[in-house]
Amino acid sequence: MKRSRSASSSSSARKPLAPLVLLGVLAAGGASAQDARLPEARREGKVVWHTSLALDSAQRLVARFEQTYGVKVEVHRTGSERILQRVVQAYSAGIKNADVVNTSDTGHYVFLKRKGLLARYTPAGAERFPAAFKDADAMAWGWRAFPLVIPYNTRQVAGGDVPQTWRDLLDPKWKNRLVMSHPGYAGSVVTQIIALEHLFGWDYWAQLAKNRVMLVQSIHDPGRTVLSGERAAGVSGADYGPLYTERRKPGAPIAAAYPRDGVPFIFSPTAIMSFAPHPNAARLFTDFILTREIQQILADSEGIYVAHPDVTYPADRPKLSELKMLVVDPDEIDKRTEEVKKRFVELFGA
Amino acid sequence: MPSTFDRSVPVWIITAVTLVLLMILPLGWLGWVSISSEQGTTLANYVHVFSDPHLQKALWNTIVLAFWVGLASLAVGVPMAWLTGRTDLPGKRVIRALILASFVTPPFLGAFAWVMLAGPNAGLLNKIYRGVTGSDEPLMNIFTMPGLIFVVALYSFPYVYIMIVNTLELIASDLEEAGAILGASRFRVALTITLPLALPAIISGFILAVLQALALFGSPAILALPAGFHTITTQIWSFFQYPPKVEQAAAFSIPLLLATALLLQLQKRLLGRRGYAGVGGKTGARRPIPLGYWRWPALAAVFAVLACTIALPYAILTKAAFAKAWAQPLSWDNVTLANFHFTFFEYSATRDAIINTLELGIVTATVGAIMAALLAYVTNRRLVPGHQALGFLALAPVVIPGVVLAVGLFIAYTKPPLVLYGTLAILFVAYLTKELPVGYAQADTTFKGVHPELEEAGRILGAGRLRVLREITAPLARSGIIATWCFVFIGVIRELSASIILFTPATKVISVVIFDLKEEGQFAAISVLGLFMLAMTFATVLLMQTVLGRDFIGAKD
Amino acid sequence: MPGVTLRGLSKRYGAGAGVAAVDDLSLEVKPRELVALLGPSGCGKTTTLRLVAGFLTPDGGEIFVGDRCLSSATSVVPPERRRVAMIFQSYALWPHLTVAQNVGYGLKFKKGLARVERDRRVSEMLKVVQLDGFETRYPSQLSGGQQQRVAVARALVVEPEILLLDEPLSNLDANLREEMRFEIRRLHERFGITTLYVTHDQAEAMVISDRIAVLDRGRVAQVGSAEEIFQHPRTRFVADFIGRTNLVDAVAASSEVVTRGALRLHVATASLTPGARVAVSIRPHEIAFASSSDGRTGDNVLSGRIRRASYLGDAVDYQVEIEGTDVVLRAAAPAALRLKTGEPVSLVIRASACVPLPE
Repeated sequence: MKRSRSASSSSSARKPLAPLVLLGVLAAGGASAQDARLPEARREGKVVWHTSLALDSAQRLVARFEQTYGVKVEVHRTGSERILQRVVQAYSAGIKNADVVNTSDTGHYVFLKRKGLLARYTPAGAERFPAAFKDADAMAWGWRAFPLVIPYNTRQVAGGDVPQTWRDLLDPKWKNRLVMSHPGYAGSVVTQIIALEHLFGWDYWAQLAKNRVMLVQSIHDPGRTVLSGERAAGVSGADYGPLYTERRKPGAPIAAAYPRDGVPFIFSPTAIMSFAPHPNAARLFTDFILTREIQQILADSEGIYVAHPDVTYPADRPKLSELKMLVVDPDEIDKRTEEVKKRFVELFGA
Repeated sequence: MPSTFDRSVPVWIITAVTLVLLMILPLGWLGWVSISSEQGTTLANYVHVFSDPHLQKALWNTIVLAFWVGLASLAVGVPMAWLTGRTDLPGKRVIRALILASFVTPPFLGAFAWVMLAGPNAGLLNKIYRGVTGSDEPLMNIFTMPGLIFVVALYSFPYVYIMIVNTLELIASDLEEAGAILGASRFRVALTITLPLALPAIISGFILAVLQALALFGSPAILALPAGFHTITTQIWSFFQYPPKVEQAAAFSIPLLLATALLLQLQKRLLGRRGYAGVGGKTGARRPIPLGYWRWPALAAVFAVLACTIALPYAILTKAAFAKAWAQPLSWDNVTLANFHFTFFEYSATRDAIINTLELGIVTATVGAIMAALLAYVTNRRLVPGHQALGFLALAPVVIPGVVLAVGLFIAYTKPPLVLYGTLAILFVAYLTKELPVGYAQADTTFKGVHPELEEAGRILGAGRLRVLREITAPLARSGIIATWCFVFIGVIRELSASIILFTPATKVISVVIFDLKEEGQFAAISVLGLFMLAMTFATVLLMQTVLGRDFIGAKD
Repeated sequence: MPGVTLRGLSKRYGAGAGVAAVDDLSLEVKPRELVALLGPSGCGKTTTLRLVAGFLTPDGGEIFVGDRCLSSATSVVPPERRRVAMIFQSYALWPHLTVAQNVGYGLKFKKGLARVERDRRVSEMLKVVQLDGFETRYPSQLSGGQQQRVAVARALVVEPEILLLDEPLSNLDANLREEMRFEIRRLHERFGITTLYVTHDQAEAMVISDRIAVLDRGRVAQVGSAEEIFQHPRTRFVADFIGRTNLVDAVAASSEVVTRGALRLHVATASLTPGARVAVSIRPHEIAFASSSDGRTGDNVLSGRIRRASYLGDAVDYQVEIEGTDVVLRAAAPAALRLKTGEPVSLVIRASACVPLPE
């Protein structure tokens, strides 16, 4: 019954192909569930997606989803910390306007789980994800991951000056030449601060502050600031999206350094809210962004590491096994996020 | 004989009640929350807020900013007013038009444009300077306190200018001629007679500029935060990061509110009841002071200022809107329309924001104009007892900085019974409250220009009060009320400091989207939207000038 | 055509007791009479007018038109129902309406008037004020005098029971003012509407009105014809305000004689209390310069010296120091009598011209 309904809901020109389409979908696994949700999703009308994925990437994903399923996506892109603030603040005021939430701060999901705000859902194909991307609670699944690197302007930084370790940035020669994202906005920076504090103690950050670092918000902004030449190097920049695409352009004056002591590796989970007003559309969307096709697009065009095991990465991306990753436990992030932000403001002024 | 029941009285009462609700409710909650905590009433919030060295710094920064902005605005506004009001400086019409344009330019757009102009490394002006002089140092670093003062003053000086220009009009010419006849040179007259007479207005202009600086959010957020310092407004905003520390935000807001109230009180006292420095004597036609060989330096100085407020920022915004990379020189292969395409067709937030902004702008302007007209009419014709209180209440919101109002509204309307948070309604309430004083001032001027005898003549010939309103007052007040509408509309579409606290993802307006994009570092999209906002603003200004038949700079209080 | 009766009218401004603009004012305007309310600024004449118009509510007293009570402290008939018309000082012509629309406005509220009839009456009235042909002009296109006549036409065309005029000529230049005085008087005699006319110009009041009510600080100081008020002022204020006068502060020596220094004057009445202080009003033109044996019994004859002579064209104004006192009297005489400063003169003043005033 349901099948014939969904078959007739696709365009009439495709009618003779419907059985073939069905077969193909079945082959991808978990397909019948997807079909069943589509009419419901269409009835719900839209899915509200909060994400800290780079804006251009997010918009492209949205366009594809809307084209494929005809379900509207209301996307809100902002920094991870802001996302949490807005979603929870709205919810506290009785406004339920979030379906799928993706931030680059794993501590958030510890927090949300504790408050019972996440829905249980296992996306199609989740059993094949690498361990780091899986979730025993079946709530927050690793969707994408990226390292934080040091972007620098090749015209302003000579070869010999390129920072090799994080401590190189403490050198007074970098005074007034650095830019950094604010942990009050960008979730990945919270991870970085804790990661480097593990290695060097708070003293590292206290010393770095003396170099009068310019403060920006988004984790992609240091890359842009460095590209424009306004600052010579970024204390961190997400190595995907704009930084990645700009670096590949011939003659672009920007490059990225991978410090020898390791790169903070940021997992960016995705979850469905327990109060999601469009649950079916949310599940449809979650599956969509975890399909091999979409994840491959992300890997190819954004240079980001993804959950799907069958995705192949461009040749110029370092393999995950080659990276010296600095990983921080999500529980620690959740516990210390207030402390981190407070100390940062004390050290850096704002 | 029984007196007739005036059907119009309930209308007046309802308006008055609405006004009380708009203002008293949020402020009441604000005050209440500032002294409350989970243990009950307490002063702990205030203690914490004032003993925290970090917050003390924000306070100090704000004082420094406000003071220097006031001085700078005076330094620019007073000479410009004197030059256009008293001398034979050429090009006055163009100058006034450009000052008007400075007046309506949203300060945060100006701040943003100046980031592109004077960022220490990538800023265009600094690049040119380095290219010309070969120096390594930049000419100016906009990400500093002086940089912030500079940008804020650029968009505050029009307030001083308008105030002084109006005052100069009112100083009777024979007071100055008396000095001239006794042998004082024109400049001496300006210094020893005109200046002292205008002193109350000058001080009052200083206060106005200071008030502007105290309440601004956008410019400090754009220029101060990257440099690592806060002002009170940005600090209040950051209290709203999760988890929101609303009690502290409230406690920090109250002093700001008190400061603005005090300053406004001072200003009122300086200007007396009439609200401007009216000076006795008879005014005849004035002879303009010839500048002689000072003419060209003066003109150059004036246009230098206006270049900083209009020419340079608008140029760089245009460049960034059309360029692939704003920091690169503008060559043919750097030109693109892709930014426009992205902003309007790909970036999903734009369309909703534009619709929200237009909706809020039109509704607020309409409701605001009607309310302002009713209030101004009631107070001008003294129709209800306590009409002076009404007039005072209508102007009172000017005392509340946008951020503070937003905190109050947030507290008042995120709890039952009336949960407006998350809807456009809360933004509407904020905008209406904030823009009512401006609307009222304009409506007040309008009705002052309709002589009460015109209405009395109608009544005595047999027309009832409402009929007189319809057939006599309304046609005569129409253009003034349209101007009121335009004033409120312009104020709404550029409002940021309240919007940034009260919006939710579904209720964004253009200014918030621009701010969001700034946090993303999307310079091109910001420039496109900025130009769009300016286009809307100037279209409205043009409408207003057509309707009024003259430029409104003289009419603003 | 009814008359207007003001009974004990009062109106205060300001907090608490405040300032009494109109203080227990009573006045009777007979039907078809034109009474001028005359007085200096602040005397309450405009307030009184606006009370009659219904724009103000009295704090006390009543206003009757005929036997209708229009205003009292407890109820006021609104202006649109009082059947009163007013001509304002600023004319209050509506700039967005034509002359014809201005004049015809009040006719819209008269029941049973067809459009044609309204237009006809408007045209007629414009003819009366000599503005026929001006129907389609706008007030901004008219001169001051023309605007004033439109205001008059607008008030008269509705055939009001009472007509109020608030200093209607004060915005016109001197020549026009004189001309319009007669015009207004002529219209009053033609239409015969009971009228209250507020002015601060005594010449105007004298030409236009049947009677004058002189107002002083919210009260009626004296009511009477121009002649009565001029010849027989009843208070110092009235004497001083109307025309020029000499005021001599003296002491009553007997019931009909006052003295000041060496000056002895027989006064008009014989009811003085000896020893009481009396102010005596003597109009300048009542003082004659004696030549040989002018003067009859009972006349006052005074010797003095010319202090100053001011040539005024049609007359000469003399200041005369009276011998034996500090009194300086002003006298007027034709130019032919060429007296010079310092010249000794003899003044003759009839007793009836020395009007004693209550202090």
